[in-house]
Amino acid sequence: MAGERIGAWGRGKRPLRINVFDEFRRQYAWQIRELGFMVRLLGRNPSAVAGFAIIAGMVAMALAAPVLAPFNPIQISLGDRLLPPGGAHWFGTDELGRDILTRVMYGARISLWIGVIVVVIAGGLGAVIGAVSGYLGRRFDDLIMRVMDVILSFPPLVLAMALAAALGPSLNNAILAVAFVMIPKFARMVRGEALAVKEKQFIAAARASGAGSLWIVWHHVLPNCLSSVIVLGTLILGETILIAASLSFIGLGAQPPTPEWGAMISVGRKFLMDQWWYATFPGVFILVTVIGFNIFGDALRDVLDPRIRR
Amino acid sequence: MKTMTMRWAVGILFAVLAAAVPGLAADKETLVVGVSSDVHTLDPAVSSDNYDWRQIYPAYDRLVKYKVVNGEGSTEVEPMAAESWTVSPDSLVWTFKIRKGIKFDDGTPLDAKAVTFSFERVLKIGKGPADNIGAIKTVEAVDDTTVKITLKSAFGPFLQTLATDAASIVNPAVMKHEKNGDLAQAWLAQNMDGSGPFKMTEWSRGERFVLSAKDNYWGAKPALKRVIIRFMRESSDQRMALESGDIDIAEGILIDQIPALEKNPNIVVRRFPSQLVEYVYINCQNPKLQNKLVRQALNTAVDYPGIITHVLRGNGVQMRGPVPKGMWGHKADVFQFQRNVAKGKELLKQAGAEKLDLTLIYSERRPSWEQIAAILQSNFADIGVNLKLELMANPTLREKVDRGDFELCLGAWSPDYADPSMFMNFWFDSNNFGLPGNRSRYKNEQVDGLVRKALALSDVAQRVALYNQAQEIIMQDAPYILLYQTQTIVPMRAWVKGYVYNPMLESMYNFESISKQ
Repeated sequence: MAGERIGAWGRGKRPLRINVFDEFRRQYAWQIRELGFMVRLLGRNPSAVAGFAIIAGMVAMALAAPVLAPFNPIQISLGDRLLPPGGAHWFGTDELGRDILTRVMYGARISLWIGVIVVVIAGGLGAVIGAVSGYLGRRFDDLIMRVMDVILSFPPLVLAMALAAALGPSLNNAILAVAFVMIPKFARMVRGEALAVKEKQFIAAARASGAGSLWIVWHHVLPNCLSSVIVLGTLILGETILIAASLSFIGLGAQPPTPEWGAMISVGRKFLMDQWWYATFPGVFILVTVIGFNIFGDALRDVLDPRIRR
Repeated sequence: MKTMTMRWAVGILFAVLAAAVPGLAADKETLVVGVSSDVHTLDPAVSSDNYDWRQIYPAYDRLVKYKVVNGEGSTEVEPMAAESWTVSPDSLVWTFKIRKGIKFDDGTPLDAKAVTFSFERVLKIGKGPADNIGAIKTVEAVDDTTVKITLKSAFGPFLQTLATDAASIVNPAVMKHEKNGDLAQAWLAQNMDGSGPFKMTEWSRGERFVLSAKDNYWGAKPALKRVIIRFMRESSDQRMALESGDIDIAEGILIDQIPALEKNPNIVVRRFPSQLVEYVYINCQNPKLQNKLVRQALNTAVDYPGIITHVLRGNGVQMRGPVPKGMWGHKADVFQFQRNVAKGKELLKQAGAEKLDLTLIYSERRPSWEQIAAILQSNFADIGVNLKLELMANPTLREKVDRGDFELCLGAWSPDYADPSMFMNFWFDSNNFGLPGNRSRYKNEQVDGLVRKALALSDVAQRVALYNQAQEIIMQDAPYILLYQTQTIVPMRAWVKGYVYNPMLESMYNFESISKQ
């Protein structure tokens, strides 16, 4: 019965059967056509394909870590300290005899989780703030945008460090700190879009038929900004992962024994001269992941930008 | 505009050239020592930390000093600021004759008054150093060059205690810096005023500490003009700097990196059997840790052989009782904890503390501590204790230890004179809470009685018997996790000559007799 649900619960004697797929397709026909077009465009863009492949690979690795990882990521085994790559340990072991491949795989879960959570929090709050600010305009807009400017005027890493240090070192606090820093990026962009959308005729029509400001923001302004938020979110994911890893590197993010990439590099750098593999593998994974999100985000922006479309 | 640009260009060129010239360590009159953490305080009446004493000790004179025998430090003493001394038949009254002509930097003479002032100041302030010279009952200046010291009871290593940092002779003129009756503590925490061969010329927090030799020192003139102590947190930084010749001695290098250094012909790795022990303070006043079953459980969880074989690479032995091997009073058959996860769980169950969250604080004072902390975390997890690790700067950590504001903390200890009281009384007497020595804030009246009685006696056999009795109780109460006694490893450039190691002066250097060739 997949694809079907019962509509109008308990109202009539005969439940009305609706095929949700059909209904969805009808309602969002334009968006679906647009999406298909986008996917085709992206498919023709080699960097988009490469970026997507990297992201998909990382996500798959993160999801499958408990199944695929050969060892326990936090169980120490002092007899196997600092073994070079090879044999049972493809990426070698760390100073407590833990398998680095395993820790890198589990690290992907943490880094991607941080990235997604931060983008959801920052994107959600930022979009709402930006849309309201842009739609209401005038003094409210000025006030909000000045606050955002103040936040933006700090280098993101420095501000995130200060916040994380003030909140106390833990992974959740690091997430909050990074999310806070990222809010203005979304807010500024969405505000710009909101200013444009606000002038459209359908907004005037909605207002004429008695819709309130918040209703309009929610039903018209925000949906129209969604695609840009997604692009920006993808681009920012890479930066987020990097900042979160940096926070962990200086001890403000993930706490031991959490297998976080930045934290692994932080300890691994002490052994870099003799045990190159310790800091190198988590470093390579940060690099590849961030590049993956960046090139995919760039390609996505190109595809969505109407000026570039042929 | 053009000339300005030229000037800049020339300036930058010079800067680049200057950077390319080999570092200060190439200078034969400057010794550079790389160490892991910054200095906490410079007041000899306050500091109980060998890492502070490293700087304080060479800036002051003491009545006596440890003798160097065949290039090795010994526990015998020889005259320094005191020319000679006599002792009453009952060993209670000591009379010192002070060398004439020793002056502080401002011209104040080092005389009997300066000695009385310094010792009374230490005793009045009553911090850790007061225990070092705790045998003293009264100090009297008989005349300008004669000091009479009366002891509470005859104390075998009394002369040795006068060679410790606590017995440093401070210029009485520091009292002009006194504020609110602090006996100039605030000033002496950041300054030094001694008659020793070196004086402080720079202290950039977190960066470096510079000692300069005095031209007019009364004793043998040091070969070195300057000693730079560089604070370098990273073991690998120290190693690179040592290999490139930017530093002469590296104190904080991970044992894992020692084998690679030993292959370098320009570097000599010196190893000395030491009495340095590393251990975990368990705050006995903390409600979670008041129950001795919990403390026993923590002791039972630790993988001692794993740490020693792998992290220390065999450069250490598990401690047996609080008194280390090599010190008299070491009890070779006292109870020793072994890793036993099932027993640890059982003990926690008995204590009704199956779910326990604890925090361990540690600093980067010793490069291996990060690993030890991670191992403890994992070992404790095995018995169901969730351990949070908190890394902090060493000075911050010491403040917390002094206030008792911690649950578990990693620490190191080494004796300053050859007497088991350095362990038994400092660690367990409940009058010594905090930095002075009883860092676990352990209080057991029976133990208090035994160690105090042992300290007041002079008969070695009787003292050993009392300390043995106390050790049995202590190992049941388990106020510390006694990890290991380690070897001291000092890697240095081969051109450093005359370095003398003394287990009583751990991490302290004989800068006055070191030279470079």
